[in-house]
Amino acid sequence: MEIIIYGIINSVTLALMALGFTLVYGVSRLPNFAHGALYVLTGYVAWMLMYRVGLYYPIAMVLSLIITGLVGAAMYQFVLVRIRGMAISEIIASYAIGLAILEGLRWGGLKGGTITLPPFVDGSIELIGVSVDYQRLIVVLIGVLLVGLLWLFVNRTKLGLALKGMAQDERAAMTLGIDSDYMAVVAMALGSVLAGIAALVLFPLGSIVVESGYNVLIMAVAVCIVGGLGSWNGAILAAFIIGFAQILTQVYLGAHYQVVVALVAIIVTLISRPSGLFGRQKELEERV
Amino acid sequence: MKCKRKLVSMISVLLVLLLFPTFSALAAEPILIGSPLATAFLYGWDAEKAIKLAVEEINAAGGVKVGDEKRPFKVEVIDTRDLEPGVPVSEALLAVEKLIIEKKVPFLVGGPVRSEAALAAMPLIAKHKVVSILTTGALSPKYHEMVEQNPDKFKYLFRISGEAKWMVVGELIPCLQQIQKDFNLNRLFIMVQDVAHARNGGGILAKVMPTKGWTVLGDPVVFPTGATDFSMALLKAKKENAEVIIIWMDMPESAILLRQWHDMKVPALPFGTIIAAAEQPGFWKATDGKGEYCLANVVNAGNAPSKATPWTMKFVDAYEKKYGLEPEGYGTSSSYMAVYVLKDAIERAGSLDPDKVVDALKKTDLMGVYGRIRFNPKNNQVIPSLDPEEGAVGTVFQWQAGKRVVVFPPKIATGEILLPPWMKKKE
Repeated sequence: MEIIIYGIINSVTLALMALGFTLVYGVSRLPNFAHGALYVLTGYVAWMLMYRVGLYYPIAMVLSLIITGLVGAAMYQFVLVRIRGMAISEIIASYAIGLAILEGLRWGGLKGGTITLPPFVDGSIELIGVSVDYQRLIVVLIGVLLVGLLWLFVNRTKLGLALKGMAQDERAAMTLGIDSDYMAVVAMALGSVLAGIAALVLFPLGSIVVESGYNVLIMAVAVCIVGGLGSWNGAILAAFIIGFAQILTQVYLGAHYQVVVALVAIIVTLISRPSGLFGRQKELEERV
Repeated sequence: MKCKRKLVSMISVLLVLLLFPTFSALAAEPILIGSPLATAFLYGWDAEKAIKLAVEEINAAGGVKVGDEKRPFKVEVIDTRDLEPGVPVSEALLAVEKLIIEKKVPFLVGGPVRSEAALAAMPLIAKHKVVSILTTGALSPKYHEMVEQNPDKFKYLFRISGEAKWMVVGELIPCLQQIQKDFNLNRLFIMVQDVAHARNGGGILAKVMPTKGWTVLGDPVVFPTGATDFSMALLKAKKENAEVIIIWMDMPESAILLRQWHDMKVPALPFGTIIAAAEQPGFWKATDGKGEYCLANVVNAGNAPSKATPWTMKFVDAYEKKYGLEPEGYGTSSSYMAVYVLKDAIERAGSLDPDKVVDALKKTDLMGVYGRIRFNPKNNQVIPSLDPEEGAVGTVFQWQAGKRVVVFPPKIATGEILLPPWMKKKE
């Protein structure tokens, strides 16, 4: 039973980490390699607002998300827009920004794992004989809620439909009057906020450390490659595949083999189905 | 008026006389100390701070007497990055090489911090005849075993901090025996990080503890560096009725393990043989007090407040005064002490010649922050003991109500081990 419960928790955790990355790529075809840095930045800003400025936790959370969203939007508006369409340059530039944020935070004193965010609800519960802390249940709850809200946003709002249109065919969307750059800014801001939400929900389980930025980026990329770059359904399915594979590896092979699961998943996907489970990017070439 | 002028002149002369040794020492060419350290991690920055504190104190007191001349120390710190996940050992070797070749340091004090990097750097340091005192991180017994196997080649390499074999046999096992006696606990679960010293230490424990009346619950569970979820292993520990959980991890994420242990109310006492996160004074805040009852070994006395020797609290207070917090990790007191030991050896050698300094270091006998400091003549490893009058003494503390209370060894203990409220004492 613990495999099922912790498998679900781990999978939702991975999905939360990857949602922002896949949203940005899906809409603007922009691989945001600063995703992990935005994740850490949100946690750190929330902590600063709470413990240094003295704001209430909910206010600190909302403000930190707004700041992260603005940082994401600014990244696109001032840097990435100039190299749009040049995939390698986009990767290098976004990774460089991420590196600057993370190492800047380290240089500024974020080291040692001595700071963290408080859990939303403290304590634990026995769930069918398995001990689970409330924060992990909240992770699952927020993960499911977020996916539902995103679905509603994308399918039921004008802005969401415009984003969806961009993701499906940018040129066609432009002919219908959708401003491609504006949509990319919105996607970057939204993707950054999603990374931030993941941080606010997941950091109470551990400590705010720079290294988690790199880990989150690796996991987000792994989930997106396995699921198919830009595919939200694929990302969620991939999160569950990798999430359960990690837990099974931990139980049956050993915890230290867990790190290779995501990398093996990437390799297997690239060999057997380069566009991922739901990806369409290279479908034609694959068929050829 | 005349009298006043006279007084001012006398005070000026007195000040000049008092400060002259300091000025003359500072004017002399400094003695370079190279410190290769993983500066972004606890075992790097604690060592860096301690080394700088010792250097500052020594320079303020006039410097190091080399023959007839007084010379100040100067520290060159370089980041080895060897505690960062995924960074290859070669990075640390390049850092050491840079200190030796570019900075031309005759002495190394500090790391490399990771055992694998420290072991790999041995031939390089020996080749350049640089006197090195390892003070932090590297706990692998292989370090001094290599010196013992090849004493001519590695005679320049000393270690003033503890090592895994003594920590297990000399400190951890006696401490566990005490726990067994006091609380009737005997079921052991071992969780280690995937690094050499932790795997070795965990392996030794798994082999030895059954012979001491303990039931070891399976092989040590090995976690990759940077792991952030320990719930499955904790669930296993709970399911198998573990009573003591041995944790051997030098990564900051070990704080997560303790938060999970607390949230799951695992009825087992967490004992960090090495547990970087719990060593730090900021740990209490970082876990919202969830790390209470965690035991942590900080390798040498002085890394948590105690009265091991008259110098211990003097050091703790000086560190707190300079940096605003108590000594942080297990590399602190040993790094501080290494600078004083080096000063003592240089002064006795009367020279900076590496061979002469090595000979003097071998004859070191100094009552330091964590007891009597002497090196084993066969392998240049500091001689450990449970009595500060006899050798370098360790420290195991427990987090109790926000404070680090020293509970082992008995000679320096300031309190007793407590069980968490969700653990019942067995009759």
